Amino acid sequence: MLADWWQYDFLRYTLFSGILIGLICPILGTFLIVRRLSMMADGLSHVTLSGVAAGMLISKKIALFQAVNPLFFGMLFSVIGSLFIERLRKVYKSYQDLAIPIILSTGLGLFTVLISIAKGFNTDLYSYLFGKIVTVSKEDLYALIGVAAVVLGTVFLIYKELFAVSFDEEFARVSGVARRSINLWFMVLVALTIAASMRIVGVLLISALITLPVAASLQIAGSFRQTILYAIVFAETSVLAGLYFAYLLDWASGGTIVLVAVSILLIVLGVKKIKAALR
Amino acid sequence: MKAKHEDAVVKLTSVFFQYEEKVVLENINFSLERGDFVGIVGPNGSGKSTLMKLLLGLLPATKGTVELFGQPLSKFRDWSKIGYVAQQVAHGAGGFPATVREVVASGLVGKVGLFRRLQGKHHQKVEEVVERVGLTEKLDQRIGNLSGGQLQRVFIARALVAEPELLILDEPTVGVDQESIEQFYELLRSLKEENGMTMMIVSHDVGVMTQWVNKVACLQRKLHFHGSAHDFAHNHDKILQQMYGDSIKMLAHHH
Repeated sequence: MLADWWQYDFLRYTLFSGILIGLICPILGTFLIVRRLSMMADGLSHVTLSGVAAGMLISKKIALFQAVNPLFFGMLFSVIGSLFIERLRKVYKSYQDLAIPIILSTGLGLFTVLISIAKGFNTDLYSYLFGKIVTVSKEDLYALIGVAAVVLGTVFLIYKELFAVSFDEEFARVSGVARRSINLWFMVLVALTIAASMRIVGVLLISALITLPVAASLQIAGSFRQTILYAIVFAETSVLAGLYFAYLLDWASGGTIVLVAVSILLIVLGVKKIKAALR
Repeated sequence: MKAKHEDAVVKLTSVFFQYEEKVVLENINFSLERGDFVGIVGPNGSGKSTLMKLLLGLLPATKGTVELFGQPLSKFRDWSKIGYVAQQVAHGAGGFPATVREVVASGLVGKVGLFRRLQGKHHQKVEEVVERVGLTEKLDQRIGNLSGGQLQRVFIARALVAEPELLILDEPTVGVDQESIEQFYELLRSLKEENGMTMMIVSHDVGVMTQWVNKVACLQRKLHFHGSAHDFAHNHDKILQQMYGDSIKMLAHHH
């Protein structure tokens, strides 16, 4: 069974994609969670979904766009959504999380309307919702490699700014950090990551991979750096074990990955409790 | 343009701040010279936080000019010259998964500059500053494990690590126990004496602070200087009574 992963192209693409997702989701997730913006991923994933539906509709109706991967429309919508969220956060300063339900329902509303206009799609929408191994194409993988390179490059180059803004936005501002630009760029990266990860984990479950490994990591990490590192380890374990079992048992890949991530979280919480009781 | 030595560190000229219809600050004229250790006192709602935000560029003045190191606020870029310690209760950072080392290092963010990573000398500086505030043992502990007084010292270390020329502290002793407050002012005094740092403290805690600073100003929408801290200490019941009526009495009597 394990040899299949090297033998078949689509499984190799899936494996590589999974490894990349397991790397970038928890990194962005750590910054999102400490800023209490963990729901942001949920909001953006629904906007991405409407973008995918729009992409499918356009490729169905307009011959020119037939060959365009709906993923790119997902990315486009997601990025626009992230800019909109930043705008809304400024408008509703004291109710910053209000931006999320606004953007989430807009995305979902648009999605259902687009489906009804198209009168259904031939393509398997289910795979976009929950992730499916066989749907990962070479093009999807390339898009993900691009996004991952930008995310990792950004975190390498402006780690200290991201940390400062996340820890204490006012202090960062007084230190002369361009916090607006950094916030905006960060949200764009989250949007791109969500769109690029969609094929494997699915739109509805992507926020789980962004938040669950970090939730487990927060329990045991001794520093911010460790929080990121442990979160990556948990996310990679979830992705690799999840993909393996999904293929073996013919389960939905996104769901399986999330279940592994939840199991890790429960184990970490359990072990911590036992340790505390023994002390 | 480089700031000349004789320029005031902070200079506010006829500054007004209005929030909707309410005048929060009225005709504030105020300058801070090098080496000053100024305490600004005032009850809640007197405009203390607003004044602080104005001179940090966090709020725009409705009228008047704010100058930092001889440059108008809009042109001022040298933010690493200013160290800022915010009110601790407002921060609520305890749960953040970062170590003392990481938090203090974040104070270098403006000085080191965009796209540059911290180097050996920066890490060394972080350790020096942490030692100065007496937290070397806690260097690699998560800040959640610290007491209120220790956390306060972490924030001071973060403000000091970039070697600022001006240190601004907003209600620095709120939520800090009595013993730590003594240590805290000792630390400020040594910074002033050994490093010649200019400092400004904004507080409603009239009693303790005025024993340490060398100039006192009272804020109640307008700013009234009362010269040296020594004069202030001798007459402060009368001054406060005149300025604020009975509302300040409770605060002034617990020293």
